Amino acid sequence: MIRYALGRMLAGIPVLWVVATLTFALLRFLPGGPFDKERSLPPEIMRNLERRYALDGTLGEQYVDYLVRLAHGDLGPSYKYVGRDVADILADSVPVSLALGAAAFALAVVGGIGLGLAAGARRDTAVDRAVALGSLVGVSAPSFVIGAGLILVFGLGLGWLPAGLWEGPLYAVLPACTLAALPMAYAAQLTRAQVVAVMDQDYVRTARALGVPEARVRRRHVLRNALLAVMTYFGPLLAILLTGSFVVEKIFAVPGMGRFFVTAVTNRDYPLVLGVTLVYAVLVVVANLIVDLAYAWLDPRIRVGNTER
Amino acid sequence: MPKRGVLVAWAAVLALACVRGSERAPARELRINLETEPPTLDWNLATDGVSIIAIEQLMRGLTRLGPDLRPEPDLAERWEVSSDGRTYTFHLRPGVVWSDGVPLRAQQFVDSWQRLLAPATAAEYAYFLFGVKNARAYNAGKLADFSEVGVRAPDDATLVVELDAPAVYFPALVNFTVTFPLRRDLVQRWGDRWTDPGKLVTLGPFVLDEWRHEYRLVLRANERYWQGRPPLDRITAYMVQEGSTALVLWEQGLLDLVHIPPLEIRRYATRPEYLRCPLLRGYYYGFNTRKPPFDDARVRRAFALAIDRSQFPALLRGGELPWSSWIPPGMPHANAALGLRFDPERARALLREAGVDPARLPPVQIVYNSDPTHKLVAEKVQAFWRDNLGVRVELVNREWKVFLKELSTDAPPVFRLGWGADFPDPDNFMNLFTSYSENNHTGWANPRYDDLVQRAAREPDTEERQRLYDEAQRILCEQDVPMVPLFVVAANFAVQPRVHGFRPTAMDRYFFEQVSAE
Repeated sequence: MIRYALGRMLAGIPVLWVVATLTFALLRFLPGGPFDKERSLPPEIMRNLERRYALDGTLGEQYVDYLVRLAHGDLGPSYKYVGRDVADILADSVPVSLALGAAAFALAVVGGIGLGLAAGARRDTAVDRAVALGSLVGVSAPSFVIGAGLILVFGLGLGWLPAGLWEGPLYAVLPACTLAALPMAYAAQLTRAQVVAVMDQDYVRTARALGVPEARVRRRHVLRNALLAVMTYFGPLLAILLTGSFVVEKIFAVPGMGRFFVTAVTNRDYPLVLGVTLVYAVLVVVANLIVDLAYAWLDPRIRVGNTER
Repeated sequence: MPKRGVLVAWAAVLALACVRGSERAPARELRINLETEPPTLDWNLATDGVSIIAIEQLMRGLTRLGPDLRPEPDLAERWEVSSDGRTYTFHLRPGVVWSDGVPLRAQQFVDSWQRLLAPATAAEYAYFLFGVKNARAYNAGKLADFSEVGVRAPDDATLVVELDAPAVYFPALVNFTVTFPLRRDLVQRWGDRWTDPGKLVTLGPFVLDEWRHEYRLVLRANERYWQGRPPLDRITAYMVQEGSTALVLWEQGLLDLVHIPPLEIRRYATRPEYLRCPLLRGYYYGFNTRKPPFDDARVRRAFALAIDRSQFPALLRGGELPWSSWIPPGMPHANAALGLRFDPERARALLREAGVDPARLPPVQIVYNSDPTHKLVAEKVQAFWRDNLGVRVELVNREWKVFLKELSTDAPPVFRLGWGADFPDPDNFMNLFTSYSENNHTGWANPRYDDLVQRAAREPDTEERQRLYDEAQRILCEQDVPMVPLFVVAANFAVQPRVHGFRPTAMDRYFFEQVSAE
């Protein structure tokens, strides 16, 4: 198992190289550079800037330089935030996004599976219909609508929760709920569909016929099997939530890294764009690995890396 | 089971929230919204409004701007100009010390200017000092010896600056952040990190206490400030990007001072907490004068005459003021009488005279950077030109940097841009459309205009200066019309009643040393 995990991590390195290269190339295709501003700069100042940030070489030279630095773990300086390295910026913002993302992920998983199970097990009841309606809203309403709605009700209307800023757990409630809304709704729908399908399976009927208590049937036979399909959704979801959301961070003034996915591109802050993209890629690789391992635990038929004989 | 957990968590959260709701705003603390992370607190390198707002609480320059925007003594207690207008001698105020107790010395200005101009620093605003003798050559790397650049400190209290040509606005220019004095010893000791909390040493009313990137800056009163400690103990400057969130936080009492987003202005305009401040910031449409049909000044005049500026305030509602000439109101030598006013009859006659048949003219493109306000303006102008001239107009929006690239390589037929004052002198505006300005994207060049702007820059006589600028503005806004000024903008604030003494300036800069909070 450990060998399998290590192998998978190593296989991620070429993936990261491809991501870095593609991002580098795409950024340079974008018209406009980091130092194009409303106030145009005299040519001599532009030359000084290009020299300072090593942008005066050919594209090939810059690419090789970038890869060499990357191999040494150096993500380079930000062009926008003078005197700050991309690594510093990520060190400040990634933990915030991780905390918020983890809270939202927990909310989405627990809430989504719970609601889906409740709805699927009580098919065509009021509970089922309420969950269906709620999850429809959650899936279709964009996060800025949900966020604004929550601010309106809990921030302005009731005055219970701060509408933004990041001062403590209380301040995480609205952004975490907003961030969790869509995945929770989707997970609920997915779980419900799986539960409904599994409930009709022969082994569930057999278990019931054998007089196994209903709660045990649901936990051991229904939930466990229904979760298999839902799990595949959680891998990429974990990566998405942990890297933060531009919209949610902007609405709630949360100092995470999600904002950089947009602002670093609009600023043409090449090293920062590459930095956040790589963080995201690493998280996707790791999250997928975790899901595969969880899969094996859930379903004994899929024992991966079955090398011991 | 998990459902019950969620409910319990929610109940706990809500209970906590109710307890917290009764918290009071802290006395002698001002909580403002910077909106975004200041890219730097290094005043040689700062170029953006947010950094400058933060730096101006921490630092001071040779001069400051008075209520009438004229330069007044600050770190320089007085100055003299030589009779040829080329040499300025600044006498520093005695007794000014940095926050670590080190006294201010004239050499610290020389050090700052040397660092600003050094090619390796790559300071974007090094060009602010290009008027200083040999500064441009030093910045371009053509001159290695800084002692040949026209700035020196003959003693600790005197700074002598030699200029290439007289520039009557020079005392206003040295109120700008990039020219502030610098502690070379600290920059050498800490490198790029010299602006971090605990390392940064300043001499303004506040000092840096905390900097949580992308979240907030905390400043505290400088006990050693030469004018005496300010009334506020603390300024907490948050970085809430979303304007409507900031406004809700203001409503919740978590922020004291915020900008009001454009769509909300009408709702707040009648409230006592509302504050409006007209800015020295013009909004204009430029023409690409190198390509037909706008290579003909009559066509440009016709398009300018077909715009009814009076409709913009009702459309945008941000306190915009229609303005038909280029030097904005509030700046010396502004002249409301200049520029082309709405006259559709004359516009149509001019088009006929130029031999342009609107029906056969291919659609004219207006290109703007993606933004709801710019879109509203472009749609309005499109309607003016369609209704008053019979011209078809196409609107194209572009992402900001793509737009800037296009402007500097091949400007669109019609484009929108704005300009805000760096220092309150007409030169800062009029220079923009000289043939040698990097910011003139119109392709228009008029030697007479260049000459007028250059002469006005060195003209000490106010009346003569007015005459020169009036003539230059007539060429720019009435005769050649490479651009059409549309309006000047305003800043709109919501200020908590517990805050006193907040007076924003037309430069869109704020000074909190006089502000107090109950």
